Amino acid sequence: MGTRQLSGPEVAAMAEALVPGSVAKTTDVACYLKPETVVHTMEALRTAPGSDLVHLTNLCGVDFWDHFEVVYHVQSFDKNHIATIKVEVMDRENPVTPSLVPVFHGAWMQENEAYDLLGIKFEGHPNLYRIFLWEGFPGWPLRKDFLSMPGGLQPGLGEFAGVARRPEPPVKAIE
Amino acid sequence: MTEVIKSEPFVINIGPQHPSTHGVFRIRATVDGERVIDAEMVMGYLHRSMEKLAEERTYIQNIPFTDRTDYLASMSNNLGYCLAVEKLAGIGVPARGDAIRVIMAELQRLASHCMAVGAFTNDTGAWQTPVMWAFREREKVLDVFEMTSGARLTCNYMRIGGVAFDLPKEFEPAVRKILKEFPKFIDEMEGLLVQNEIFLVRTRNVGVLTPEMATNSSLAGPMLRGSGIAWDIRKADPYCGYEQYDFEIPIGYQGDSFDRFLVRLEEMRQSCKIIEQALDGLPGGPHSTQVPLALRPPAGEAYARVEGPRGELGYYLVSDEGPSPYRFHIRPPSFINLSALKEMTVGGTVADAIVVLGSIDIVVGEVDR
Amino acid sequence: MALPFLVDGASGNWYDIRDLSNISRLILENADKVLPQGIVYVLAPLIGFVASFLIFVLPSQLIVGVYGERKIIGRMQSRYGPNRVGPFGLLQPIADAIKLMQKEALTPTSADRAVMYIAPIVFVAPCVLLFAVIPFGPRMILANIPVGLLYFLAISSLPVLAAFMAGWSANNKYSLFGAMRIVAMTISYEVPLVLALLGVVLFTGTLSLQDMVFWTKEHHIWLVLLQPLAFVIYFICVSAELNRTPTDIAEAESEIVAGYLTEYSGMKWGLFYGMDIGYALAAAAFGATVFLGGWSMFGLDRWFPPWLIIIGKTHLFYFLFIWTRGTLPRLRSDQLMTFAWKFMLPVALANLFVVATERIIWVKGDLNDVALYGFAVLNIAIAAAVIVAWSRFLGYRPERNPLKPRMMKEARGYVPVVAAAKGDGR
Repeated sequence: MGTRQLSGPEVAAMAEALVPGSVAKTTDVACYLKPETVVHTMEALRTAPGSDLVHLTNLCGVDFWDHFEVVYHVQSFDKNHIATIKVEVMDRENPVTPSLVPVFHGAWMQENEAYDLLGIKFEGHPNLYRIFLWEGFPGWPLRKDFLSMPGGLQPGLGEFAGVARRPEPPVKAIE
Repeated sequence: MTEVIKSEPFVINIGPQHPSTHGVFRIRATVDGERVIDAEMVMGYLHRSMEKLAEERTYIQNIPFTDRTDYLASMSNNLGYCLAVEKLAGIGVPARGDAIRVIMAELQRLASHCMAVGAFTNDTGAWQTPVMWAFREREKVLDVFEMTSGARLTCNYMRIGGVAFDLPKEFEPAVRKILKEFPKFIDEMEGLLVQNEIFLVRTRNVGVLTPEMATNSSLAGPMLRGSGIAWDIRKADPYCGYEQYDFEIPIGYQGDSFDRFLVRLEEMRQSCKIIEQALDGLPGGPHSTQVPLALRPPAGEAYARVEGPRGELGYYLVSDEGPSPYRFHIRPPSFINLSALKEMTVGGTVADAIVVLGSIDIVVGEVDR
Repeated sequence: MALPFLVDGASGNWYDIRDLSNISRLILENADKVLPQGIVYVLAPLIGFVASFLIFVLPSQLIVGVYGERKIIGRMQSRYGPNRVGPFGLLQPIADAIKLMQKEALTPTSADRAVMYIAPIVFVAPCVLLFAVIPFGPRMILANIPVGLLYFLAISSLPVLAAFMAGWSANNKYSLFGAMRIVAMTISYEVPLVLALLGVVLFTGTLSLQDMVFWTKEHHIWLVLLQPLAFVIYFICVSAELNRTPTDIAEAESEIVAGYLTEYSGMKWGLFYGMDIGYALAAAAFGATVFLGGWSMFGLDRWFPPWLIIIGKTHLFYFLFIWTRGTLPRLRSDQLMTFAWKFMLPVALANLFVVATERIIWVKGDLNDVALYGFAVLNIAIAAAVIVAWSRFLGYRPERNPLKPRMMKEARGYVPVVAAAKGDGR
């Protein structure tokens, strides 16, 4: 009962079987695909009856200071399993990753959102624009170096004894 | 005729200030006469960057934020977030807490679907009557929320590991009263609208979504079910003990606006059924587990989802063992349901575009966050 | 000797409230003695107008039109409606009017100022003219012209011009939409409306509204029973032309904000709003006169003031407008045109054919009133049959419409629609 969460190696095996050499690395929960072949692999995973990952449930980007990860949660209705697939975007200055819009139409809005808030450019997206903020908004709000207050706002735990403050971020706030 | 009369398309703004956009949402429609030939969505008028703000607050401080994303379904949002944190930190919930959560989430579905159905009929031009009836019923649900959590709209009731307070003693009679009156209201609504020929011609074959299109556009909830895809997180991936309750998933026939309306009406009936079962078998015991105020979940990630009134409501959390989430991402159902808006709108008339927008049932607080 | 107020018709005494024309005649006769010759001919219509306005239009419009409509719709929507200003909120329309007069009437910079200013005036004037031909009693009619029906139809199509002026001059896209829609819709709905009324004219043999009431009185049957199809068509067409809710595409609130009224504010908007109700009342009064027997009430009008009877019937008719407004959703503009041309027009023609045949039978056979009752029963059956048959011919299949969604026990992917399943969609 319940949706089966596919582990990283399971997804990797599926992807390798369909598109050899498409997997970059694997962790327990997620399978990292290579950016060059991600569109092709996702298309194969979507159409192959064994994987049947038809529904791009969730797409989001995560900033890890030195690189970005784009996280895809892909769901199968018939088999009732969900896979976590990730793509690493290593270039922080100019993060570019292929767009999944040719495979999943639902990526259209979510990639726009990731572009707007994190600045990850999705190559091949038909209409990439800042969906929430206006064009020319300084910076990318969800990046870790974008601080909503200079110096950063710390979690409001100052009054709790024994709660250490987070280390100062290595990057300065955008002036 | 088109060869003789020269006409040129022009742009018409549906929103952000328009009587029937649900909040500050704007469709920039290019029309040729009455026919929409292009539709562009403009949003962000209500963007508050909640995901960024949440990264700077503790896990518990974030619960009120989730109220304010989808302000018509705050209980479901609370629940989704709490489930994600519990998954991340490995916290269990007592049986009574689960049952209370189910009751609250289903009551919230009633309230939210009342709004959805009412506003949708208002968009088709049924001048205020169904929406007023729906609001009348919604008030009763909100009264129950008020007596339980102290707030009507942004309840902030769920906590990590359970719920904030135990149920008051007036709760059960009030919910029983709702359960008695609600089916009557649904019958009334059906009697007014389901066989109404004007309502049918306005909604039948308007905004048709094929199942392939619905799946590929990552739609969720009544949008997906209207297209004939039997998919409900409560059944597919049960949480909070939904597997113990006996209910069914309504699905539509051809994925038009009318099917979504039917699905929503029937879902209200099923919600009543679930509430009744949960209330009958409400276990005793504590309503919540003790969770440290400064929660520091182990490093990792969790994606938890609930079936909100508008569809799959997911929370993706990444923890770095800090007191606040490293990444806090909401999978907003009504935002993603808008993916198919253009496909549904183009080719229809302006009036159809309004009906389609109404059938998606967006909440702009959730679209923009 | 019978009591003076029990004699048939008016006694001629000025205190006989059954016929208010006695008072005006008294006034005019006395005025003729003191005033220079000829002035009374100017004074007479003025008195008639003031009287009909004070007795009928103003109270009806304020109390029934504004207050009653809001109250009734409020009750339909399970709320109270106005209940704060004055007793039971009765003064609400007056408070609204005062508020509207205080508001600034904005004109957009890019609007055509002159046309935008004239449009409300053009809208108001015909409404006042319409009540001239409505008979309120045997002698209570301002202008008993022989072509009253034609006059009414001609004048009642004037406000479209004003609506178009309003929509065009505002230089607003929503207004333009509304203007185009109302012109298209009115042209479409005039045709079945006139055809439906043609049947009435054919049967009664007169174009004068007063003569129609006398005909009704003479034959003891209301035309709504004799020609139910014409009544239905009249009701639908008139509610379309009046922009009442099932057909209010010209000011469809949820689609094009307020249609041609989008840029209007203050009392300019108030004139449009008030006169919308005025037109609705005029249409209701006309419908009551033609179809519901006007001021006659099967002999009751001998004892009871006939002008109260027609006012009551008007408000009964107006209640139908309120009822549909509180109940029905709105049609799309193209569906509305389709409905007019594909459904109403053939049905109106069928009605005309049936009525003409019956008229010939009635006249040639020299039949009495009992034959009319037979015709009435027959016509009600024919109306039901024609409506059902023609709508099914056009593709109306209510049994194919699913009333319930399909129910699934388990979550899985796409469930194909089985053709045999109940309700396979349309």
